[in-house]
Amino acid sequence: MPSPASNSILARPLAAEAPALPPLALLFRVNALQAWRRVKAVRERSRLLSSLIGFFIVGYVALAFWLFRYGLEFVITHFPGLGSLLVERLLFLLFAFLFVLLLFSNLVISYTNLFRNRETTFLLSLPVPPQIIFRWKLVESALLASWAFLFLIAPLLAAYGLTNRVAWHFYPATVLLIALFIVLPAVAGSWLAVNIARYLDRRAFQVATVSVALLLLVGAAFWLKAEQITDEMFETRVLAVLDKLLLKTRFAQFALLPSYWLSAGVLQWSEGALAAACFFGLVLLSHSLFFGCLAFTRMGGLFYEAVSTVQSRGNVFGQWTWFRQWQRRQSRFSYGRGAIERAVSLLPAVPVDVQALLVKDLRVFWRDTTQWGQTLVLFGLLAAYIINLRHFSQQLTNPFWVHLVSYLNLGACSLNLATLTTRFVYSQFSLEGKRIWIVGLAPLGLVRVVKTKYWLASLASLFVTLGLIWLSCHMLKLPLERMAYYVGAVSIMTFTLNGLAVGLGALYPNFKEDNPGKIVSGFGGTFCLVLSFLYIVASVTLLAVGSPWSWTRFGESSVGLMLGSWAGFALLSVLLGWLPLRLGLRKVAEFEV
Amino acid sequence: MIELVHLVKRFGELAAVNDISLTVSRGEFFAVLGPNAAGKTTTIRILAGLIKPTSGSARLAGFDVQQQPMEARRRLAFVPDFPFLYDKLTPWEFFRFTGQLFQMSEAQIQSAARKWVARFNLEPFLGKLIEGLSHGSRQRVAIVSALLHAPEVFVLDEPMVGLDPHHSRVLKDVLKEQSLQGVTIFISTHQLSVAEEMADRIGIIHQGRLVAVGTREDLRRQSGQNGALEQTFLALTAQEANFAEESIGVAR
Repeated sequence: MPSPASNSILARPLAAEAPALPPLALLFRVNALQAWRRVKAVRERSRLLSSLIGFFIVGYVALAFWLFRYGLEFVITHFPGLGSLLVERLLFLLFAFLFVLLLFSNLVISYTNLFRNRETTFLLSLPVPPQIIFRWKLVESALLASWAFLFLIAPLLAAYGLTNRVAWHFYPATVLLIALFIVLPAVAGSWLAVNIARYLDRRAFQVATVSVALLLLVGAAFWLKAEQITDEMFETRVLAVLDKLLLKTRFAQFALLPSYWLSAGVLQWSEGALAAACFFGLVLLSHSLFFGCLAFTRMGGLFYEAVSTVQSRGNVFGQWTWFRQWQRRQSRFSYGRGAIERAVSLLPAVPVDVQALLVKDLRVFWRDTTQWGQTLVLFGLLAAYIINLRHFSQQLTNPFWVHLVSYLNLGACSLNLATLTTRFVYSQFSLEGKRIWIVGLAPLGLVRVVKTKYWLASLASLFVTLGLIWLSCHMLKLPLERMAYYVGAVSIMTFTLNGLAVGLGALYPNFKEDNPGKIVSGFGGTFCLVLSFLYIVASVTLLAVGSPWSWTRFGESSVGLMLGSWAGFALLSVLLGWLPLRLGLRKVAEFEV
Repeated sequence: MIELVHLVKRFGELAAVNDISLTVSRGEFFAVLGPNAAGKTTTIRILAGLIKPTSGSARLAGFDVQQQPMEARRRLAFVPDFPFLYDKLTPWEFFRFTGQLFQMSEAQIQSAARKWVARFNLEPFLGKLIEGLSHGSRQRVAIVSALLHAPEVFVLDEPMVGLDPHHSRVLKDVLKEQSLQGVTIFISTHQLSVAEEMADRIGIIHQGRLVAVGTREDLRRQSGQNGALEQTFLALTAQEANFAEESIGVAR
């Protein structure tokens, strides 16, 4: 806790104070201080949590590094000549996809940061030029959008460097190249955000973003569809097959893509071709300086105009007569029940008050495009991947690979679910926030409110996870008993992850915040994310080790091992699903509204 | 002083501010009243430079808010209805930050902050994080931070919300003193007693238009009501609503 106030704060000697800083530096300082205090607050609140997060970060970096190192060594040593080619193409592809993701991420974060942020409004009423506010928000958005990218690629590049036995200067040079690279999607993302804000209102922006994301998804699923390759082709025309396989990835080597400059710079430096690497570095530098300079000096006016437009617009579609007529029709009030109410009323044995709560939660979810948009993109990506599995049916005849892919699918499905439970389900109880008195004082009781939220979240997510796991089993042509095994496993994991999120959400509520993103970034949300991840890793490992169907490479599973693994999985599920929910309900029962 | 000249702000088809012209002199205490969604906050947001007017202009202390925004903002203090504060800063750090944004020297910040901190009884909270303060204390922090740079124009949107009776009184006294010292006060409120007690002139905004402006006596005469400001306000807004309905009927 901060120290209690004292007059000493006022009595500090003036000479000790630093001279006045320019506004941008002041904004950096204040926000850095805030960020530091948030980190400190987590550490002070729970040593366990901060240790857990530290362990999680170190564990991720170590595991990712080991996996990348093992994978790269495997490809390079088992496929002499071809291995290096594959690794090279992999880097081009990875950076191309990360560039698109960074662009999308910068666009969304910049939009929120520039136009839906109270700090921006506050600063605009002070004598701080809009150009300075834009500069600060650009830097802040770039940091927020890019940290995960750095976290993801650091172990890969370290593993790549060690595998290729590069010189020491490869590492600082790579850091410099990446620093230059992340400027470009940041500038492009903020420029797009400002222009979208000038021409589209919030609703139109959300619809456009989700539509573009879906289009990209469908396009990527179609473009990256695997080719049918026969065994005969594999045996007689390996290079032709490889060429065919790599044909569709050539877009990543388009010379005008910033990701190409980065990949080429990294690859050339690792091979000792320093002149060529410097050339690509200079290409990145010149573009970063040019566009960065434009953003830093010319975007202020456009930004201010966009802020005013965002806060002024009725609706961009309002210029069309048909839309205005449709809006007028919509605005005619009807006392009748809506579609969601009619659907919920069909549920058997659900009391009217619980129905009302279900209708309210479903409506709030449906009307927040950001929520279902993200859900759609996450599970859409997974569905696209699983549907593409059918193209590998000929290669996936070996039981080992079928086994491995089916468990990886279970892990991927659960990880997606964990992202959603942490992001959306955890915050549900806190989001009642200032409205807690409505449900809290109603005869329904808070315990039933939380239980209803749990069942709604569990059944809704079960609908999606069961669909995906059925699709995965179907694409892998698994027999019925194995399908039942996965269905059972994913059902237990769904109820557990939702129990964990709802339970921790009730144990660590934050009624001050209306923004689910900020609620999740607190103590309980981080704890929930870390525990969910650990639970999934442990569960998938236990289920795989105790698989009733043999891993041909490792021999038959013994009955003891199988039963032990299942018991471990059940125990983990009870500890991380039932127990937090139980504790959360107990706390809620004694909650003082 | 404040000058609004034929100010219009449209949100799509809706005219939130509809041709408002008004002059508030230096040192004048002006209160603006109006029903919900009348256009008060939109007018204030234009004054603070947060949104551009569709047409017309707003001037603060002689500077056009759109043409000379930095000059205008240097002379303005603005306390919105839900002020933004950095939760992980202490009030003292926040004062220093806002003072520095107004290019005040450390000595000026220290001196002004000490004066206002004492006045608003914020000493016990200076070293605590803002996130832990009550709604009323946060409101006082916002008001003190706005006063630090000795503004020429002070614009407040519903400033009494969350303040206890003691600090409401302190704020009223401070505003009156500032007004007497030449600071132009422009306050939007639903608390008619505040306007009645404090304001030199009162403006009533209804459906985006300034339907009445003047002293309490002027408004009473205009409304034909001799009672409290509440009756004057209700009569004037009802007259305007009837006029609007009749106009729509004629148009149809």
